[in-house]
Amino acid sequence: MLREYIRREAVFLLSAGLILFFIGFGAARPDLLGPASSAAHAAILDHFSWLYLISVFFFLVFALAIALSRYGTIKLGYDAERPQYGFFGWVAMLFAAGMGIGLLFWGVSEPLVHLLQPPPFIDAASPDAAAFAMRYAFFHWGIHPWAIYTIVSLSIAYFSFRRGMPALISSCFYPILGERIYGAAGKMVDVLAVFATVFGTATSLGFGALQIHSGLTHLYGISSAIPVTIGIILIATALFMASAILGVEKGVQVLSKLNIVLAAVLLLLILGLGSAPYVLNVFVSTLGGYINNIIDLSLQSYPFAGFEWSRDWTVFYWAWWISWSPFVGLFIARISRGRTIREFVLTVLTVPTLFTFVWFAVFGGSALHLELEEGANLAAVAGEDVSLALFAFLEHYPLAGLLSLVAIVLLIVFFITSADSATVVLSSLTSGGGLVVPNYKKIIWGFSISAVAIVLLVTGGLSSLQVMAITAAFPFMLVMIALCCTLAIGLSQEKVQE
Amino acid sequence: MLEKTLIPVAYKERPEELRKVGRMLKTLGANSVCLYHVNEPGSFFRGADLSWLTLLSEALEEAGLIVEVKTGEGHIASAIAEAALLEGADGIYMKAKRRWHIETMLLGSVSRDLLRLADVPVLVHKVRPRLPDDGTEPDQSDLNILYATDLDEASARPLPYVMEFAGAWCHVLHVRGRMADPLAERTRREAVERELHTVAEELRPYFGRVTVEERIGDPAAQVLHVSDRIEADVVVLGRKSPAFLSAPMGETAERIVTGSSASIFLVPQPGRRNAS
Repeated sequence: MLREYIRREAVFLLSAGLILFFIGFGAARPDLLGPASSAAHAAILDHFSWLYLISVFFFLVFALAIALSRYGTIKLGYDAERPQYGFFGWVAMLFAAGMGIGLLFWGVSEPLVHLLQPPPFIDAASPDAAAFAMRYAFFHWGIHPWAIYTIVSLSIAYFSFRRGMPALISSCFYPILGERIYGAAGKMVDVLAVFATVFGTATSLGFGALQIHSGLTHLYGISSAIPVTIGIILIATALFMASAILGVEKGVQVLSKLNIVLAAVLLLLILGLGSAPYVLNVFVSTLGGYINNIIDLSLQSYPFAGFEWSRDWTVFYWAWWISWSPFVGLFIARISRGRTIREFVLTVLTVPTLFTFVWFAVFGGSALHLELEEGANLAAVAGEDVSLALFAFLEHYPLAGLLSLVAIVLLIVFFITSADSATVVLSSLTSGGGLVVPNYKKIIWGFSISAVAIVLLVTGGLSSLQVMAITAAFPFMLVMIALCCTLAIGLSQEKVQE
Repeated sequence: MLEKTLIPVAYKERPEELRKVGRMLKTLGANSVCLYHVNEPGSFFRGADLSWLTLLSEALEEAGLIVEVKTGEGHIASAIAEAALLEGADGIYMKAKRRWHIETMLLGSVSRDLLRLADVPVLVHKVRPRLPDDGTEPDQSDLNILYATDLDEASARPLPYVMEFAGAWCHVLHVRGRMADPLAERTRREAVERELHTVAEELRPYFGRVTVEERIGDPAAQVLHVSDRIEADVVVLGRKSPAFLSAPMGETAERIVTGSSASIFLVPQPGRRNAS
């Protein structure tokens, strides 16, 4: 009986055990956790930062090649199936799951930080640095992250909806592993997916909590001590756990749509109240520079000058997106049943990317306008505390208090929807891919994500979050490369017209 | 099967070795042989005395074969492949067995080209079957044949040749990639089992024992593994055009020929004309 339970729940027991060990170790010996994770992180970056760059570029090329090939007409589901959700609801949900908090956190601060701290071959705070900052903000938040999500979600959607297998990462490995997906090898793949998801989500929630805290401190002058951040995480945890346990899938969908509308309103307000022509010029010129340089950007690690910069930014982002990809991939797969591969890939790669570009042009471009044209001291604030940059930026607009409050509400809702989805996905991943999962698993995963975020914040703050995202993503990147192979094998067995 | 066989020969070929080959070909049903030598343009030996060919011809005649001698010029592999067509040969015999084992295992560039270009079946003689040194004829009824097939058109073509090899044991091996999901995999496995059973039934009258095996994985690696395991004398397989992605690694057939200790009987894809 016990042996049967252990065999059935091996993924859950192993991954939960390891995560709980990590939390316990971090709580008991925070002095050791930081150096240990930093050593692993440095080893990965020293030896494999090039692999992150080339792999992510490959994922983009691979996704496009499949979409534009004859396999593009294959449906993610049975041939007669129709899409489960309408186009707007679908795009809203995949956008909310894929980016959310990060856009609010980095929308203003990333261009400002790049402006002030560019690679050594560019003069800080110069017009070149501004163009560079915007181009890299587009690059880090553009088509590449969505290519990463596409690989995972397309694989899961194909193997579960078209091939009738459980919605697990290990299912995608059937063409290579065969029946061994039910054994140790398959379980290891799922454990790696759980690991990446927990640390990727915890990183985002850590960012979110830091920024909510900064906003509240900025608006209401509450204490900036770390226990308050922990308190925010605990309150948000209670909210998203309640949502996950009550199973308010419909509610999350409504919240996701509401958040997109709210984000769009905030975007239009900033555009309308600021310098719209300047922002639109930033948008088109950055878009041109991005398209013109996309291959160079994709593969550029600046080995002769600026290698550290590339590691700290591009590789961190790629690792972060990869660590999010099992969770986002499963989520996107689940809402994309009935769409063709071409429709799926092209929409996922372009629609959210375009919205993100507009977002960065409006927030980043406006911040650069304030910094470069009006002498606002925003870059220094962002350099000091990136979580504060958004609120310092909103200070320069009419109704700053209201806008900041809207931003905080957005952050909280993004926090809840992301964490809720992550909890459900983690529970499903550790329950054989089933949609009905026991509540105790949701509770354990919800608390685990929050506890990991707290441990990382306490042991090293922002840099600690980044370090763990990169470390946890590395093995999953290798899994993703294998996913491309298995997907190609699966598709090659399809009978499609030339 | 090999009633008329073309044997490409080079300078310094040893008559005593060729005599053994002649006896083996006779066992396999050959009654005439075309000894073919290609002069490379610009070769040092071009136009030199070709009396050594007469010695080789006499060695084969001693084995009871009708022998004719022909020479040609040009790119060696292309010339051999073309001559096989023009002379109406049923197959080409290619001796990979050399004095040293390492030489036998390393396939020369001419042989590799010929495997790709030939429009008639090619028998590449490697370490097995061993040719008797005592002047007796090899016993066909002792042969272990490995018939490697993926059950498509190209690999069904060798079936009549397998029947003609006859012998003690025929092991039919099917190698394929795994299907993408368990249901498709089970369906495919059942279909393959049925087809293999049919093939085995067709071969049963010609062999003392017929067995079938289905494996999943890389075809070349699996064929080599099974060939060594059962100590096959001859591996019979069909040749297919390589897929674009596998081209840099070489055809499956070429990899099998290079790595195998057993002789290889390679049957080209029907309807393809490479030499002309």
